Amino acid sequence: MSVTTAGHRRIASPLYYRMRRYAVEAACMVLGFVIVVWSVTPIYNMVMIALDSHADIFSGQVWPENPSLESFRVVVTQDFWYLARFWHQFGNSFFVGLMTMFLTLVIGSLASFTVGRMRLRNGWMLSNAALMTYVIPASFLAIPLYRIMQIYGLTNSLWAVILSIVTFATPYAIFIFSQYGKSIPMELDESARIDGANPFQIYFRIYLPLMAPALVAVGTYALLLAWNEYLYNFLMLSTPESMTVAVALAQFLNSDESPWNYMMATAIIYALPPLILYYGFRRYMAAGLTMGGVKG
Amino acid sequence: MSVTQQALAVGRGVGARPARRTWHAGLQGSEFTWAVAFAVPYALIFFAFVVYPVCYGLWLGGQSELYRQLFDDPRYLTAVVNTLIYVGVGVNLKMALAFLLSGFFMRKRWWSKALLVVFILPWATPALPAYISIHWLMNGQWGMLNNVLYLLFGIDGPVYLNDRWMGLASNIGAYIWKNMPFWTVILLAGRMAIPQELYEAAEVDGATGLHRFRHVTLPLMANLYLVCILLDTIFALGDFNSTYFVSGGGPAMSTEVLATLGIRYAFTTALPRLGVATVMTALPVLIPLVIILMRKLRIKEGQL
Amino acid sequence: MRKVGRRSVLGGTLGLAAAGTLGRPYIANAQAKTAVCWINQGFIPEEDEAMKKVCEDYMKASGNKLDYSIMPFMALNQKTISALTSGDVPDLFFEDAPSSILPQNAWDDKLVDVSDVVAPYESQLSETARLGSTFYNKAEKKRSYYLCPIKQGATPFHIWGDLVEKAGLKMSEIPKEWDGIWTYLKEAQKPLRAKGMRKVYACGLQITTVGPNDGNNVFTHFLIANGGEGIITPDGKLHTDDPKIREAAIKSVEFMTNLYKEGVVPPEALSWNDADDNNGYHEKLFVMDFDGTLSTELAMIKDKQAFFHDMQTLAPVNKNDGTPMKTQVNAGGGFIPKGAKGVEVAKDFMKYFMQPKVMNENLKGGLGRWVPAIPQTVKDDPWWLNSGLPPVTPYVTEAVLNPTLPVYEGYTPAWGQANAEQLWGQAHADVIKNGMKVADAVDKAFKRCNEIFAKVVL
Repeated sequence: MSVTTAGHRRIASPLYYRMRRYAVEAACMVLGFVIVVWSVTPIYNMVMIALDSHADIFSGQVWPENPSLESFRVVVTQDFWYLARFWHQFGNSFFVGLMTMFLTLVIGSLASFTVGRMRLRNGWMLSNAALMTYVIPASFLAIPLYRIMQIYGLTNSLWAVILSIVTFATPYAIFIFSQYGKSIPMELDESARIDGANPFQIYFRIYLPLMAPALVAVGTYALLLAWNEYLYNFLMLSTPESMTVAVALAQFLNSDESPWNYMMATAIIYALPPLILYYGFRRYMAAGLTMGGVKG
Repeated sequence: MSVTQQALAVGRGVGARPARRTWHAGLQGSEFTWAVAFAVPYALIFFAFVVYPVCYGLWLGGQSELYRQLFDDPRYLTAVVNTLIYVGVGVNLKMALAFLLSGFFMRKRWWSKALLVVFILPWATPALPAYISIHWLMNGQWGMLNNVLYLLFGIDGPVYLNDRWMGLASNIGAYIWKNMPFWTVILLAGRMAIPQELYEAAEVDGATGLHRFRHVTLPLMANLYLVCILLDTIFALGDFNSTYFVSGGGPAMSTEVLATLGIRYAFTTALPRLGVATVMTALPVLIPLVIILMRKLRIKEGQL
Repeated sequence: MRKVGRRSVLGGTLGLAAAGTLGRPYIANAQAKTAVCWINQGFIPEEDEAMKKVCEDYMKASGNKLDYSIMPFMALNQKTISALTSGDVPDLFFEDAPSSILPQNAWDDKLVDVSDVVAPYESQLSETARLGSTFYNKAEKKRSYYLCPIKQGATPFHIWGDLVEKAGLKMSEIPKEWDGIWTYLKEAQKPLRAKGMRKVYACGLQITTVGPNDGNNVFTHFLIANGGEGIITPDGKLHTDDPKIREAAIKSVEFMTNLYKEGVVPPEALSWNDADDNNGYHEKLFVMDFDGTLSTELAMIKDKQAFFHDMQTLAPVNKNDGTPMKTQVNAGGGFIPKGAKGVEVAKDFMKYFMQPKVMNENLKGGLGRWVPAIPQTVKDDPWWLNSGLPPVTPYVTEAVLNPTLPVYEGYTPAWGQANAEQLWGQAHADVIKNGMKVADAVDKAFKRCNEIFAKVVL
């Protein structure tokens, strides 16, 4: 059946092909346009509020009358009392985000390697147990985790936040890595073993590079999980030295009337690092396109 | 078709046989030590940060009296119905779109790649301000959506958040908006893992477009897709931010979901046990999901 | 006054130290002299500065150490509840209006009785502050002080005076009676629209079911204005079976839903959250609203024209029957959790803070967004009626000089639960959206309210 259709297409004129390609291209462009509008509208609203002066935020304009970068200047120069320690908090957030990402990737990939590649006897129990984490939604484990961090002496430590988020991100990472790892032929490990590589070398030289797309995807996931986390930031951190941008953003919800333009400017600046990071690692992701067909 | 099937069969077989022959049986001595060492970090995390909190959580929400109080609350039933809609529509619609879009982003055009960066913007935007922005966007009186409608068509749009169904749709929309990029990226990574040979083989076989999709992409991605659906269902059950900040549960508490009801009990009414009990009532759904996930983890080779 | 206070503080500390050296090793004593305090952030920087000053001054005066951190309200709320639930607590919480945390946790016997701290100042406290700081403890089976009251806040009207004038009305002609205020100001809408303000509404009435606070607060004031203030009495009993109360509730729901149906309230108000009305008000999308504390005005303190001229603050004067109206006042201050290690220092700090002078300076420093729990300080200090900040005078008049009531949450935790269910907003929605008769909607809300109260037996 398929052969006949294909045969039929093969004798179609080049014009048909060209027309068809244009049609597909046009459809894709329409889709692309829809994607842009969908993705950008709420962010456009945020940018608009950030560019506005406080007085006309809700005046119902589609573009501010007197757009100004004043709000961004205020955030960057810490020129408002909520933002007095912005860069310090930003640094803390950065530390939490990167550490969470790093630990999630390391712990997750090691566990998935041992379960999926080395077939540790009863190793599957590890990944099964991991799923127990999700029996109670993360937001409702807040109080127990708050308590446990005190037992471990991590009160008011950034590590309390990092470890909480790693706890929720790792089961997911193990999961995706195990799924993804199945596409990497076992023969690669085998031949490396014959060449005398130890398991760590196989993990480091073969497994990790071939997992690049999954690492980028899960790494971004872990980073953004940390970046978007509020409840645990609120609960675990108490002093100005330890606070993160999430707590700073919560200040704007302190009051019923806040300088929303500053809040939105803060949010926009805060959103940049994960984007830049993702953009930087994107080519490793794209590498998967060509690597997908690793010769077995 | 035959070539494709062969390729698929090969694909399935790739990992299984040699693995059993070598690593599984021969895991001894230093290799065994390595394997255990690799498992230790996660085991530590698990015992230190999962076992105790989960038990504590179960204990917090473990009194039967809490459930009597909960079931007496007229908001509870509404919240259950809304949760079913929220999770059912939110998860499935999002995942279907993410799956289709992941195909779109496989295209090798430069602007597809540029688009991907725009597309992940919602994911990178901090959740609270983003949801607050959506809340304002939907405002009937001064929201941008109605302003644009007025400018373009001269009509006054409805007051979206005054209506249960539009409110619920806004919450679901916001949830999809925020999380779809993530699942798209995961599914995109999954698609990238499909060996190129399978497509080439299918091409030789004359299978293009839909055929290729049905006979190569779909069977290989089915498992990953299902796993994503299950995981996201679990995540969505616990998500309170979009409802909390977009519709606020209004009008008249008609868009409340279990997670927001729980958060309200815990932090507005200062009854944290009742809050935990609220989400506990989702356990009859959550536990089977977790069990299915556990089984899915041990599926046959060759599927993602 | 001040000297006595300080001496007692010092004396207390010395006594403490002596007791400590006798009873415990030196290290433990050193620890006992520190208290960990969690303080909520103010709405304006001045409030935080004033708080820091009190803490620093106390440390200097007493030699004790306060390990204090100032946190945003939302974070602190969640931390407080987590701490009280898990038992891992600081020594002192200092919060603006912990109106659901306090009754519930006092009820559950999780707070330290602070009667000894309050005692020296008890006679000077307003009746409202006294009522608002005592809570029922289910284990002890009695009410006692669990809050050291420092500050209190009320709800005034916020009115754009310039819009009122523009509409051809006069601020001075606003009637004294509660309903009259709304009825008079709603007339501003038509002339303003005629002058080109296409989308303006008259009343920012928070007839909402989202809240969490505004809808309940505005309804309760309507109820009081209609003679229903006895819906719940300080003993925690609900009186919905009183025909007078039912009538007052019906009148309130009727008046509020009618305003909405007449189109003088933004349609959106049905689903407003607590910030939406403020945003709309600041944008001049409506002429007036009735919202807690002076934050509405203070948020715009940098806009000289708005703050000093256009915005007017108005205290409710009379009920609908022409008698003086009591408005509700929310109390804030310090409370100590059971299990705290530094109880003595925390109490000592509160004794220091409750001295009228200290309290007064702190609240003045916060630009009068909160007013003192001891009324005499307002009478003694001319600043309060003459601060140069226009909204403070009517506000302090309402919250301290006029008759007041505490918020009902303090009487029993059941009221907080009823509010959390937004029963009154629900009644409004039943009338507006579901076409229910007002009396039926009220009866439905009352029925549910009774069910909630039945479970919380005093």
